[in-house]
Parts: sequence; C-alpha cells; structure tokens
Amino acid sequence: MDDDDRVFKALADPTRRHLLDRLYERDGRTLTELESELEMTRFGVMKHLRVLEEAGLVATRRAGREKLHFLNPVPIRLIHDRWIDKYTESRVAALTELKTRLEETA
Amino acid sequence: MTTTTAQTTQVYQVFIKATPEAIWEAITEPEFTARYFYGSRIQLDDGYRSVDAEGRELVAGELIEIEPPQRLVHGWRSLYDESTASEPESRVTWEIEKRDGGVSLLTVTHDRLEGSPHTAAGVSGGWMYVLSGLKTLLETGEPLGG
Repeated sequence: MDDDDRVFKALADPTRRHLLDRLYERDGRTLTELESELEMTRFGVMKHLRVLEEAGLVATRRAGREKLHFLNPVPIRLIHDRWIDKYTESRVAALTELKTRLEETA
Repeated sequence: MTTTTAQTTQVYQVFIKATPEAIWEAITEPEFTARYFYGSRIQLDDGYRSVDAEGRELVAGELIEIEPPQRLVHGWRSLYDESTASEPESRVTWEIEKRDGGVSLLTVTHDRLEGSPHTAAGVSGGWMYVLSGLKTLLETGEPLGG
C-alpha cells in the first residue's frame, strides 16, 4: 500500500472523518476527550486513531503523561495537489477555450 | 471555512524520500527556500530571517536551537501583515527523523501562538503549502506547479 492508498482508506470511513472534524475544531486532544464525544468503546476509537496515524493524518505528541492528537492536514493537501488541482485546472482550461471559441464564432 | 479559531499549537508532518541532510539543506539554504517558501530567502545568522526578492523582511525571530541535520528551533513573527507584525513572537520547531527505505519524516510544530491569533490563522494554510512544495521539490527537483 502506498501513501495515497493509506490516506484514501483512512478517509473512507465516517467515524474517522468525524474524528478529523473534531480535531479540526480543536487540536491536541487526548484519547479520553475524543472518546467522550463518540458512542464507541475506547478500543474502537484507538483503532480508528491508529489507522489515521498510519496514514499520517494524525500526529501525536507527548505532553507529560498524556498523548495528544493533532490533525495533520499535509497528506490531504498532497492529495489535493495530485488529484484535484490537475483535473479542475483542465476543466477551467476547457471552459476558457470554449468561451473563446463561442465568442469567435458569435 | 467554519468559525473555528486557529490552533495555538499546530503540528504538520510529511514523509519525504530524501536524506535528513538533503532536507536540512532545503530548509536552511536561501537558494532552496526561494523555490518553495513563497519565494522567500532564509537567513540564519544572529537570528532567523526570511526576506523577499526585494530584500523586505517577511518573517523574523530569535534563533533558539540549531542542530544539523535534525533540529532547528526559531522564533516567528509574521512581518508581512500589519495585524500579525504587532503580535508577540511565536515558535517554530523543525524536526527531521531518518526512517527506513531512504525516507525521512519532517515534523514542523508551530506553537506559543496563544497571544498571536492573527498569526495562527495566517500560517495554518501556509505550512501545508510550504511542506507540500518542499516534498515535491526534493522528490522531483521541480517546484510545485512548475
């Protein structure tokens, strides 16, 4: 599995997307904090966080005895640069070309 | 965008197919930073400074720790905008770890942003752009979108 596969796989689950949204709202949370907002066992939340960590979407830092979870948006940006920019750019270019052609024939 | 306030500690990570030495060079040499860091050239001497093509200072801060090729810590004041220039200095930590298979993990932590809400909001999209560009440059030799 390459880096992109891991990111797409991690994002293909609603609970994991929900966890990312929670971290987007407020970063640097502990497992206990994240768990309290989900109707899921601690083990379940841990499992989802591990998938997000392996995909590089969540970074962890130790602060004393606590492990804090941070949203790392860089892999999403990389997917954006690789998969979205490319196609939206060509669509914009196609529309620009169409506009030019229609205006020329008008 | 939602109305959420920008984070006072921001962590960004990216895996790059490059040695720690190559990454170190890319983040500390002005010829490199000019190619992915909004065209700005880094200057590390008494402090940390980054300047644009006309020599205007964009970012400045204290140089706190320099340990090639794995750790660079410096202060950060965004001088390119009036609302951020007057805010207190925040802190940026670059950490480079060698991983298996010729890959290194680069972590950028921007913290001490409690008193600098405009800076915090301003840099959050910026770091993603910079790190994505740095990865592309090191892995392909070309700047993003170049």
